[in-house]
Amino acid sequence: MENLKIEIERKKKAFEEALPRVKDLKSLRGIRNEYLSRQRGIITGFFKQLKHVKPESKPEVGKLINDFKIHALEQIQALEKKFSAPRKKEKKIDLTLPGEKMYWGAPHPIVLFQEEIEDIFLRMGFSIADGPEIETDYYNFGALNFPPHHPARDDWDTLYISDDVLLRTHTSPVQIRVMEKKKPPIRIINPGKVYRKEAPDPTHLPMFFQVEGLVVDLGITFAHLKGTLEYFLKLLFHEKIKIRFRPSFFPFTEPSAEVDIECTVCGGKSNECRICGGGGWIEILGAGMVDPQVLKNVNIDPEKYSGFAFGLGVDRTAMFAYQIPDMRYFYENDLRFLRQFNLK
Amino acid sequence: MKISVDWIQNYIDINLPVPRLVEVLDNIGLLIEDWEEKNGDIILDVETYANRPDTLGHMGIARELAAALGLVFKEQRLSLTEADENIANLVDVQIWDEDLCPRYCGMIVKNIEVGPSPDWLVKKIEAMGLNPVNNVVDVTNYVLFSTAQPIHAFDLAKIVGKKIIIRRAKQGEKLLSLEAKDVDLTPDMLVIADEEKPVALAGVVGGENTAVSSSTNNVFIESAYFDPVSVRKTSKLTGIQTDAAYRFERGADISFSPEAARMAASLLSQFGGKVCRGIVDVYPKPRKVKTVMLRDHRVSALLGVEIDNGFIEKTLESLGFQMERKQPGIWQVKIPFFRIDIEREADLVEEVARFFGYEKIPVQLPPLRSLEPILDPKKEKINTLRQLLFHYGFDEVVNFSFMDPEKEKKFDSGLKPISIRNPISTKASVLRTTLLGGMLENVVWNTNRGAEGVHIFEIGNVFSLDKDVHKEQQMLSMVMTGHMGERHWKEKGKQASFFHLKGTCEALMDRLRYGTFSFREGSQPHFQEGRSLDLYFKGEKIGWLGAMKRDVLDAFLLKEEVWAAEINLSLLFGKQAQAFQYSAVVKYPSVNRDVSFIGDSRVSFEEIKEVLEKLQLPFLEKFNLYDRFSGSSVPEGKVSLSFRFIFRHPDRTLHADEVEALQEKIIASLRARFNFQLREGGKIDK
Repeated sequence: MENLKIEIERKKKAFEEALPRVKDLKSLRGIRNEYLSRQRGIITGFFKQLKHVKPESKPEVGKLINDFKIHALEQIQALEKKFSAPRKKEKKIDLTLPGEKMYWGAPHPIVLFQEEIEDIFLRMGFSIADGPEIETDYYNFGALNFPPHHPARDDWDTLYISDDVLLRTHTSPVQIRVMEKKKPPIRIINPGKVYRKEAPDPTHLPMFFQVEGLVVDLGITFAHLKGTLEYFLKLLFHEKIKIRFRPSFFPFTEPSAEVDIECTVCGGKSNECRICGGGGWIEILGAGMVDPQVLKNVNIDPEKYSGFAFGLGVDRTAMFAYQIPDMRYFYENDLRFLRQFNLK
Repeated sequence: MKISVDWIQNYIDINLPVPRLVEVLDNIGLLIEDWEEKNGDIILDVETYANRPDTLGHMGIARELAAALGLVFKEQRLSLTEADENIANLVDVQIWDEDLCPRYCGMIVKNIEVGPSPDWLVKKIEAMGLNPVNNVVDVTNYVLFSTAQPIHAFDLAKIVGKKIIIRRAKQGEKLLSLEAKDVDLTPDMLVIADEEKPVALAGVVGGENTAVSSSTNNVFIESAYFDPVSVRKTSKLTGIQTDAAYRFERGADISFSPEAARMAASLLSQFGGKVCRGIVDVYPKPRKVKTVMLRDHRVSALLGVEIDNGFIEKTLESLGFQMERKQPGIWQVKIPFFRIDIEREADLVEEVARFFGYEKIPVQLPPLRSLEPILDPKKEKINTLRQLLFHYGFDEVVNFSFMDPEKEKKFDSGLKPISIRNPISTKASVLRTTLLGGMLENVVWNTNRGAEGVHIFEIGNVFSLDKDVHKEQQMLSMVMTGHMGERHWKEKGKQASFFHLKGTCEALMDRLRYGTFSFREGSQPHFQEGRSLDLYFKGEKIGWLGAMKRDVLDAFLLKEEVWAAEINLSLLFGKQAQAFQYSAVVKYPSVNRDVSFIGDSRVSFEEIKEVLEKLQLPFLEKFNLYDRFSGSSVPEGKVSLSFRFIFRHPDRTLHADEVEALQEKIIASLRARFNFQLREGGKIDK
């Protein structure tokens, strides 16, 4: 044990003597390896010998070796700093140069607006259902209580492929398809493209998007229809928006209603208002209690179940929400128009 | 429908300020679209509905107002100056086709002096936006706009054989209509004929030959009920739209025919005419009054509000319904003939609701039972891929589903396009079989407006005819040309390129966990030869990408190179995606080896990849090509390829000599297969 202590002192002295002779990084590496190498370093060797030392002396000798190690490391690190080239001062940069922004593509405003509408209904526990855009006369009209050759069909100006096949004029056929397969309770919305025989002008298009909805369950009332649509419109626009329900006619609902919201552009005060035409109200939704005949057509007992349905034009509503004067802008796909919706 | 407030006074005494009147009508569902003051009168423009032909006259609107405001509905008194003759001796009316004409009434007025109408009548006709013609024609219009019952006046002298026959037209018959237009008749059409020939197209338009003129003395007044579907078909076939047809096709009041004839006769007798005694009324099968049961509990069950029984009775009675109370809260309701829209209990509930006021029905959220959601994994996938495409810098577009058939042909897709029978224009007369047409138009639109690059995508349906089946497929298409993003001092930005597009497709497939896709040589004819690929998944072609063919670009007047890709989402989403799986991160370090080769530039990357994959080297985690060039430092026909190989053992650190052996294997096999040489100076490091 004494021998080990003497040996440690001896090597310590040798280390002190060797240090002044170190003149560069290379010789520093040499001395570092000599004393601290993990395999053959002198200090590493001392630690290995420690296991032969008697237990009562271990703390003392151990401390001796450890102090040597710390001392040697400190010395070597100090010299390392001394021999290393002084750090160059960082170059000055013009930090006012514009940053690199990665371009993030813009969503189409109608798809975006449709998603906003969907989200509100999803939160209310609705599911989304879709169906084909090419439909049969039965699903588009017959099942929805449009008698054949009835003038009511004139309001749904139709693009035909053949006598019986057409481009759906509303997404209501999806409701029929869902009700055929599923028994109440039903709570769905049906977003999608619909088609009308309309020449394009600022407020009419031969193709546009609709979101329709349907609730069928026990004890569903007109009051529930009002509650659901008011909730929806307040979330979509704002809490204080004024809403009006007035009687209307749709073959597939009875009673039927049209839902208007107040014109926030002119507040109903301007006779020349581009948006509401001075009436102060904007038609936003068609709605009503599902017609008993429609329920019968899909084998749901109208004495037991009742329901309500509604539909809105996404384009029309988006036009109003963003104050876009011409519906055709949505389908020109001008990037200067589209890219604004990156911020929505 | 134009409504004169003065005219309404014939039926009710009403004196309301216009805004209040508009509000009352709006609230019962008679929306006032506009109104104007005209000659001291107020003219309202009322929106009416296809199921309410009774509101196509002042009487019907007045009846609604009376019910809404609790006013008395005044009955009309008709006075006649009678002639000595009986009508039965002057004309013989026969209905041959009862199915299309269940009731036909007529009256005769003699000795009329045809001339201008008196001022009061002129004013009424003008209020409706029409020009007065003569007193007889004006009277027929007056009756129509008063009662919604169309009537027609014939010059009795011109009816051959004093016979009026209501029958289907014979093939080849013609009618010179009042609009001075020759109408070819078909056996589907119902006509009014005399002994020889058709004199009117029933319910649609009268004939020129029997029209009332200044020389007319005696007039036959027709007031009938024609089958709505028949009138509508005839009106559509002939293209003749009249105020009469508009009302008949919606359904006239079959009980009112004699009354309307009497009203016309009464007015004509005021202008000096003498009305023959009696009326012709051919009504072989009088219709029964419809009855509908109404239960008060159904009213509250549908509306969500209790409505007083007294209110229900009073409202429906004032609208002309006869209420018979069967039990407390249950009525048998007799439906007046003018309300063709009322057939079921729900229809009566709507009547109650309209007059109760929609605004008074409470606002409640429905008690939503929790129910199994209809899951739509497709929707989620579409959301995922849209986000990825935005990230890759593509803007989203939406185009119309219609295409110009001439342009559609250029894509030569092999799909049979579906034609629209009644398109809005010939340039939009087929349904698109590819989204690319619309998107190329978007490229044109934007480059013409100064865009330096267009990088867009669309998700939408394409349509085709597949053995009589109308096929609808959801597609994703991407189109790119020119510069991407803004120019920047540091990043020079990207140019549209095949490999950017390919990378997007690869990332998409990986992201949707369809990672086991592959590419094959392209086969779509709208791409340049040798510059396109087909995308396969599980042995099925699900997409393609490439450089658009010159012919196609020329059709769109595009000069720049355009790269495009399409993926059939309907097909792809029908396939099972791989499940997401976590795998533990290996904690042992990898050994990376960079190796550069010089080889024949005709050897494809795919071939090299195959050779390397076939080696099935243990511990080769992956490899990638990080450099590829040819040029002055590389011999002609050769290319320099630099690969990084990443080796890793799952359970321990790899030894250098193990990696060395694997690397030698790689070098040897590429040398043997392609005669690849190691590139001079290609560094090999640890």
